[in-house]
Amino acid sequence: MTLRGVCAVIGVEWSKLGAQLKTRLVLAACAAGPFVFAVAMRVQSNVPADTLFGRSMTESGLAVPLVVLGFAALWVFPLVASVVGGDLFSAEDRYGTWATLLTRSRTRAELFAGKVLIALGFSLLAVLVLASSSLAAGLLVIGGQPLIDLSGVLRPPDQAVARVTLAWASVLPSAVGFTALAVLASVATRSSAAGIGLPVVIALTMQLYALVDGPEAIRRSLITSGFGAWHGLLAEPSYYGPIADGAIVSGLYLAVCLAIAYRMLQHRDIGG
Amino acid sequence: MRRSFARRVAGGVLASSAALVLGGCGQSPITPARIEPALEATFANLVELQVSRLRLPPIAAPDFAVTAICRKQLAGANAGAGDWTCSLVWQGPNRQTVRDTYDLFVATDGCYTATVTGESLGGPILKASDGSDVRNLLYTFEGCFDTM
Repeated sequence: MTLRGVCAVIGVEWSKLGAQLKTRLVLAACAAGPFVFAVAMRVQSNVPADTLFGRSMTESGLAVPLVVLGFAALWVFPLVASVVGGDLFSAEDRYGTWATLLTRSRTRAELFAGKVLIALGFSLLAVLVLASSSLAAGLLVIGGQPLIDLSGVLRPPDQAVARVTLAWASVLPSAVGFTALAVLASVATRSSAAGIGLPVVIALTMQLYALVDGPEAIRRSLITSGFGAWHGLLAEPSYYGPIADGAIVSGLYLAVCLAIAYRMLQHRDIGG
Repeated sequence: MRRSFARRVAGGVLASSAALVLGGCGQSPITPARIEPALEATFANLVELQVSRLRLPPIAAPDFAVTAICRKQLAGANAGAGDWTCSLVWQGPNRQTVRDTYDLFVATDGCYTATVTGESLGGPILKASDGSDVRNLLYTFEGCFDTM
């Protein structure tokens, strides 16, 4: 496997992604969705009171990215994390293009690495677009007033912006973990529907488990726990244990899922 | 060589998983010892903020000397996520002792929603001294505490 080979795969996959309507729609939704949400909150009096920071939405625009973050954890992150990763490998099965790909001077390892890096890159890009758009929507539509945090402390705007940014950064490991899960589902099932749908179903199941007062060890080993680890950043004193825990768990999912997916791809009998 | 590396990776993954799982075993971390200090601090901070919003003379959060006693609403172990009731005793702005009761719903991740029972702290909206409407920060509020 050479770096040049991996870069060549990344270049081809990136141009394929750019031509797909699906990826453009996802990025457009990530960019426009928070603005629609913030405007809707601005023009009516009801607030999403059952969500953390929901009551503060009309008082500070800096609550908007945190409310969006809370909503996105349910199914948006698993979906945007798997929309590309869950399709990259199975699309070759669907179109019957594996044999064509492998007759080029690229090894399976290079193809795997290039495709995985593209999937991870797209997931991170989608989360980045959603984060930037949520913050911009809050500031532009509602305003940059101070924010009351989860310990009742009034955070000045600059401090709140820093915490909001860190909160969004804290979900990146879990998004990466879900992308690895989607890659595995895509390779194992050879179906794009399963590659994209299975991670979302697994995420919803994990979220349901988190509602139950079950063993703490199991809750902490769920990849979705990392999506809520940011709460500690908005408390006083702040606590970072759940973020570290989420990163370790996501790292384990990443390593195990990619190792299994790579092994399956290496041992697959692909006929011309 | 490759096999030995694979074994090392597998061993590392297993050891990390075991450490993570064993580290989280035991009783639920959601106990009165964690809820009460978190609720006391959050409530005191919110009272300080509310006093300022109502344009009353400022008072620092520690001066409210909030004490909370929490118990789980369901009989059995006094630990775990679910519905809790917390009694708060604190020093009001006029230095009188005030008692309030809150119903808490505590989630498994240590985040809770507290809603006051009764009308002792007013409704969801209050009138400031200048006549403007102010959201009652003490009517319903949220907070989080570390469960690790």
